[in-house]
Amino acid sequence: MIKITNLRKSYNGIDAVNIGHLELHPGEVIGLVGNNGAGKTTLFRLILDLIRCNEGEILSKGNSITQSEDWKSYTAAYIDEGFLIDYLTPEEFFYFVGKLNQLSKADVDDFLSSYRVFFDEAILNKGKYIRDFSKGNQFKIGIIAALLGNPELLILDEPFANLDPSTQLRLVDMIKTMAMERKMCIIVSSHDINHVSEVSSRILLMEKGSIIKDIIGGESAYAEMVDYFKIR
Amino acid sequence: MNLSVFLNHQWLNFWRARNANKSLAIQIILGIFYFLIFVEIAAIGIVLPFLLKEKMPKTNPISIYTSYLIYYFLIGLLARFQLQELPSLSIQPYLSQNIQRKYMLRFLNTRSLVHYINFLPLFVFIPFIIVVVVPSYGPIAAICFFIALFSLVLNNHFLNMYIKRKTINNAWFFFAVLIFIAALKGLDYLKILSFEKASSSLFTTILNYPILCLIPVAMAILVFIVNNQYLKSHLYIEELISENKKKESKNFTFLNRLGDIGEMIALDLKLIFRNKRPKSLVVLSGVLLLYGFLFYPKYLATSNFSALFFFALLITGIFISNYGQFLFSWQSSHFDGMMTYNTNMHQYIKAKFSLFLTVCSLQFLIASFYGLMSWRLLPLQLAAYLYSVGVNSFVTIYVSTFNYRYLDLRKSASMNFQGIGAMQWLQSLLITFGPALVFYLLDHFAGFWYAVLGVSLPGIAGLVFHESIIFWLVSQFKIRKYKILEGFRER
Repeated sequence: MIKITNLRKSYNGIDAVNIGHLELHPGEVIGLVGNNGAGKTTLFRLILDLIRCNEGEILSKGNSITQSEDWKSYTAAYIDEGFLIDYLTPEEFFYFVGKLNQLSKADVDDFLSSYRVFFDEAILNKGKYIRDFSKGNQFKIGIIAALLGNPELLILDEPFANLDPSTQLRLVDMIKTMAMERKMCIIVSSHDINHVSEVSSRILLMEKGSIIKDIIGGESAYAEMVDYFKIR
Repeated sequence: MNLSVFLNHQWLNFWRARNANKSLAIQIILGIFYFLIFVEIAAIGIVLPFLLKEKMPKTNPISIYTSYLIYYFLIGLLARFQLQELPSLSIQPYLSQNIQRKYMLRFLNTRSLVHYINFLPLFVFIPFIIVVVVPSYGPIAAICFFIALFSLVLNNHFLNMYIKRKTINNAWFFFAVLIFIAALKGLDYLKILSFEKASSSLFTTILNYPILCLIPVAMAILVFIVNNQYLKSHLYIEELISENKKKESKNFTFLNRLGDIGEMIALDLKLIFRNKRPKSLVVLSGVLLLYGFLFYPKYLATSNFSALFFFALLITGIFISNYGQFLFSWQSSHFDGMMTYNTNMHQYIKAKFSLFLTVCSLQFLIASFYGLMSWRLLPLQLAAYLYSVGVNSFVTIYVSTFNYRYLDLRKSASMNFQGIGAMQWLQSLLITFGPALVFYLLDHFAGFWYAVLGVSLPGIAGLVFHESIIFWLVSQFKIRKYKILEGFRER
């Protein structure tokens, strides 16, 4: 799905991202961990063509992401509030994103009703603009909007950070199901090594812009991460 | 907790605001601009009495001056709606600190007073009073007169604050007062009721019985107390700025049929209606449509078609110029998102162009009523319209790809120079004076119809070849896309 070769992005002479070779495949749930400033968000921005790299290239399904915009039709992401149009109501925002993905209002309504539990009555029909919602609820709106287009590649930056515990667990379930059933490639970054080891099939550990560990998810991964972070 | 500490913080805030130091040149130019305005008003204040004596030697200058005072205060109130901001937001960080409420109230009241609109009256009143009132009525009467006038100014000030806090829908109130003023003037003109005479006798009575100046003082104190009481009981974050209307999801059905482009246009429209800065900017441009009444007659009389064309350009193209200046910056807070949604750049830019086309056409249609003034205005406006949509729209889109500044949409548009750099000034000049100059030259050397044709042709060409032009614009945009994204992330 994603193939990264010799990718380098530096600011003021210091490498923010420096990855020689990385391949991501459909059906994988990749957990990206690392300390603050390790380069996780920068890597996401590079994959989404929001930042220009100094060197190297990123291929999505074999095509360079800078040359063509085709990747947008099967890629969705939620990184921060900069991905939400804050002066719309959630419904308007969902219809807007839905329209861009060739979904009619009815389709969107159908979709939303299947996520009613996730929303927990806190988001729909509230008569508020997105900017008036709490941070956690904004996150929920962002995540669901990202799922609207039935993407094949989903990127979430620290999704567990702002959600309440029940939603966190629901999200873990959702991610695992989607990756398995729809063969989605999902990249999640987090500081929560518990959730990350539970949800990921593959864990990438980033430090100072490079990927220093690429391990299979699960119990052993958890132990390895604890080990790594304890020493830091 | 001293009042001076609050004021000191405000002072620091002013100088340390994110973009305050970014363009020193702009700051200097602004400073000179403001200074000049002050000097002009002061000059008017000083020269006025002599002017009055000269032009109307028979009538008592005081009666003329006082008869217009009522308009001064009413218009002052209007001006304050637009220009004066509530200092409420600045109080947020202090609410949770160990500071007593009375100090914060004191701060809010004092802070709001420090505004140039409260210093202007000094320049308008004092010179006149010294030159005319003192000799006729004596110093005591003059002082009391000044006290009365300044109390009315304070009255206006706190009244405005109170109204703004109660969030009586600003737009309606503004137009209501505007219509009220127009009505007063109209009644006066038709000699049905003379408010000017009433105003004049009112203020002259104060001059004759100086003790009456206490009445305006009492009014001012009353409004101040009412304002203060309201503040005292509403010193909560959410009540300082009350915005509790239930928000409706809007659906522009006719735009839905236009696919992705329709979605983008709907998005732009919602942006304009739901955010303070773009809304006031667009309303201002709407008001500019009426400028034809001001300028057309004058230049029609002298058949100065170049000047008429210049104003026609303004009238038909003001939306493009105002809104287009910050075309991408309006969406700076979610530009990251815009670039990742499932839409391509071509659609995005085409949508912007379509928005320009639609609004411009609307403006052109409305402005066609000016044709009643003179038929010659119609071809002029048509040429201006064609040029605006065929050339200026693309020029504006092109120039905005150079704009990397983040815009905060929640602040008001008046006196808000965030995001304005040299580029904006240059662009405004390019799109108005450029074609006007061309028109002038053609008109001068070839004639009216050649000039009209000469300016319309580029416009028509632009419309015919718009797809290719948009293609080119997209490639330009892509070159600078990363810089734009980076600039918008820096708040």
